[in-house]
Amino acid sequence: MIQFFHVSKTYARDVEALVDINLHIQKGEFVFIVGPSGAGKTTLLRLIFRDELPSAGQILVNGRNVVKLPARAIPGLRRSIGVIFQDFMLLRDRSVADNLALVYRVLGIPSAIGKRKVMNVLKLVGLTHKAQMMPYKLSGGEQQRVAIARALMNDPLLLLADEPTGDLDADLAADVMRLLHDINLRGTTVVVATHDMNVMGRLGRRAVFLKGGRLLEDQP
Amino acid sequence: MERLRYIIEDALTNIRRSGWVGVASIGTIAVSFLIVGIFLIITGNLGALVTEWKEQFQVTIFLEDGITTEQLTLLKKRIQSERAVKAVTYTSKAEALQQFKRELVGKESLLEGLGENPIPASFQLRIHEAYQTPEALRQFTASLTRLEGVEDVLYGQEWVDRISSAVRMLRLLGLSVGLALGMASLLIVSNTIRLAVYARSEEIEIMRLVGASRLHVRVPFLLEGMIQGLLGAGLALLLLFGAYRATLWHLQLTPGQVFGMGVGSFLEPRWAGAMILAGAAVGAFGSLISVGRFLRA
Repeated sequence: MIQFFHVSKTYARDVEALVDINLHIQKGEFVFIVGPSGAGKTTLLRLIFRDELPSAGQILVNGRNVVKLPARAIPGLRRSIGVIFQDFMLLRDRSVADNLALVYRVLGIPSAIGKRKVMNVLKLVGLTHKAQMMPYKLSGGEQQRVAIARALMNDPLLLLADEPTGDLDADLAADVMRLLHDINLRGTTVVVATHDMNVMGRLGRRAVFLKGGRLLEDQP
Repeated sequence: MERLRYIIEDALTNIRRSGWVGVASIGTIAVSFLIVGIFLIITGNLGALVTEWKEQFQVTIFLEDGITTEQLTLLKKRIQSERAVKAVTYTSKAEALQQFKRELVGKESLLEGLGENPIPASFQLRIHEAYQTPEALRQFTASLTRLEGVEDVLYGQEWVDRISSAVRMLRLLGLSVGLALGMASLLIVSNTIRLAVYARSEEIEIMRLVGASRLHVRVPFLLEGMIQGLLGAGLALLLLFGAYRATLWHLQLTPGQVFGMGVGSFLEPRWAGAMILAGAAVGAFGSLISVGRFLRA
C-alpha cells in the first residue's frame, strides 16, 4: 500500500525532518508511527498524501509514485486517502451534515446520492442524531468522529490519522481508537501517528518508531 | 453539471458572506463606471452634434447684383472644379427673397417699402469634411473672393472646429479617468477576493485535503469577482439611465429633441453592453490577481 525508498526531507536551513526512511506498509495493515514531537511523524504523513515532496527518495502509494505525480493527478490521489488531525479541522460555520457535504460537493456527486452517503458515514461513527448540530456544540470525541466520518466519505483505501486523540481524554480517546480499528477491520489500511504509547493499547499492532527523523525500530 | 451547480452556489455563498466588503466593492465599481458612463454620454452626444454640423456645414458665396448669365455659368463651373466642393446649389435673388419672407412669417410688414430686392443671389457650397479645417478653408475662401462676380464669402467654421477639438480632449480625459478608475476597481475587487480567500482558508485546505481540483477551488472566487463586476456595472447603467431621464425631464425634452436628430440620446446599446462586459472583466481580473497570489498550489 505504502512504500518509502530512501526518503529524506530537509527543510530550509538544513533542518532534517526525515533521514533515509525505508518503510513498507501492506494493504489492510494497521500501523502506529510513534515518536516524540518533532520526530518527523507529521512530515511522514504529509509526504504520503503529497502535501509535501521529499528532498530525496521515492514514495509509492497504492502503486503510484507520488513524487512523480503531476499536479493535476494530486486530487485523484487524495480522493483515495482519508486524513484526520489532532484539531479535527471542522468548519464552525456549518452543521455536521454540511461539513460532510463539502466532500461530495467537491467531487461533484449529485446531492441525493451525497446525502445518503453522509447518513451512512454518520451511522458508521454513531452520530446520526447529531447531523444537524453545529460542530462546536459537540464534545471533542464527537468532533473527531465527525472528522473521521468526513475522511470516510470518499471510501478511502487508506486512512491517515495525525495525533487523532491528542486533544481527547482517555475514555474518548479509547472510543476513537476503537472506531479506527473497526474501520481497519472493514479493509481500510490505517496509519496512526502518535507520541503517546498508551493509545496503542494492548492490541499488539505494528509500531514504527521515529526519532529525530530517523526510523529506529519497526516492531510487529 | 452537478459540479457546475455547486461551484455557482459556492460563489453566491461567498458573495453573501462578503457582506459590507462586497457591497463596498460593488459600489466602487458602480461609481467608477458611472463616471466613465457620464463621459461616454457627453462625448457621444457632442460627437454626434459635431458630425451633424460638419454634414450641414456650408460656404455661402454672395454674388454681385450686376453679374451676367455668362459670368454666372463660368463661375459655377469654376467652383465645381474645386476639389473641396461636394455640391453646389444656386439661389437667385427672387428665391432668396421668398425664403426670407417665409422666415418672417407674420412680420411681412417689415419688408414693406423696401422697393428693390436687396438680397443678393448666392451659391451654397457643401464642403468635403477633409477640407473643413481652418487653414484649408481660409485658403479656399480667399481664392473664391478673388473671382469675378463674387461679392462676399461667408462661413462659420472656427467654433465648429473648437468644439470638435474640445470633444477630442473630453474623450482623452474620459479615457484617462476611466483607466484610473478601472485600475482602482481592479484593486478593490482584488482586495475583496483576498479577504474572501483568507476567510475561507480553512475550507480551502479541507477541500484540497479531500481531493478538490484546482479549478473547483478557484472558479468560485473568479465567479464572485465577475458577479461583483457585473452588479457594479449594471448598477452604474441603471443610475446613469435614471439620471439621463431625470435630466431630460428637467429640461422638458424628449430624447432626440435636444439638438435635433441623433443628439440627446442615451448610450448606444453596444456601449452599454461593452460597459457590462468591462465590469465582468474587471471583476474577473481583480479576482485572478488575488487567487494567483494567495492561493498557492
